[in-house]
Amino acid sequence: MDSLLALAAIAALVAFATVLGLALRARSVRVVSGSGGDEQRLTVEWADVTLVQLSSPICSACVAMRRVATELVAADGTVAHREIDVVDEPGVARRHSVYSTPTTLVLDRQGHVRSRLIGAVKPADVRAAVDAARTAQVRA
Amino acid sequence: MTGTTPDGRQVGGPQLGIDPRGPRFGAAITSVLLLVVVLLGLTESLGVDLLARATQPAALLLTALVALFAWGACAGIQKHPYGALFRRFVARRLAPPTEREDTAPPTFAQLIGLIVTATGLVLHLLGVGGALAVAASVAFVAAFLNAAFAYCLGCQLYVVLVRVGFLRRSAARA
Repeated sequence: MDSLLALAAIAALVAFATVLGLALRARSVRVVSGSGGDEQRLTVEWADVTLVQLSSPICSACVAMRRVATELVAADGTVAHREIDVVDEPGVARRHSVYSTPTTLVLDRQGHVRSRLIGAVKPADVRAAVDAARTAQVRA
Repeated sequence: MTGTTPDGRQVGGPQLGIDPRGPRFGAAITSVLLLVVVLLGLTESLGVDLLARATQPAALLLTALVALFAWGACAGIQKHPYGALFRRFVARRLAPPTEREDTAPPTFAQLIGLIVTATGLVLHLLGVGGALAVAASVAFVAAFLNAAFAYCLGCQLYVVLVRVGFLRRSAARA
């Protein structure tokens, strides 16, 4: 191949990787609400809202998400956090469109999945998702 | 912070880990070298016999990268030569890390890099045209995403493998 053409191919490759990186970064931390489905088995009995964090051993952001959830639980006695290894629960991953770890399912008292938190979500957004789940079940 | 689940089990690995900037520094070097492989692979013509194909510059450079990935995947990311380079020359010029990372994710990423680049190298040696450039391009995208965006493509693959049932409890614990 012509070396000028090869350089153009290299530039295109770098540009593609950059666009891909920006798109992935925008999608890697987000909150998906109203995703539906039930995981009653995973709820913690005493809690109004249970945060079920799906983690994996191959996961950098899982530690950060665990820290956020642990702090929230410490401040709010009606919320529980449990962490399960995605390898232990592949069915949960399949049922709730889990393609990356950490993904945290926000379960209400009945075990309805009110929202999914993808990535290490900011504390304020976790709090908002928890409040939304609580409000939704009071209304129901 | 304890890092345990309500049932007392530890999931995410030990709290003590490596500076996450170390593997990203290594990935930056790797992505530049992979780009050189792509460039050479696109401009060189395919060698006529096995020896010619094995000794052409693009193949030699990719062989070195395969060896480095194998080192990282087998010995663990903390023993990778780039890690030593980072600790010796880079880390001391930076502020201490604000967080630490488990060694499992970047080590798994090295394994994915090894599989991709080794496949390309073997196909090239078998006489498949363009194998070097394609494999190096794929590996470049992964290394670049890690270096520039701290995004671990191999780690995403892990969950996909679990979903399709390819990775199970016993295999994942090994």
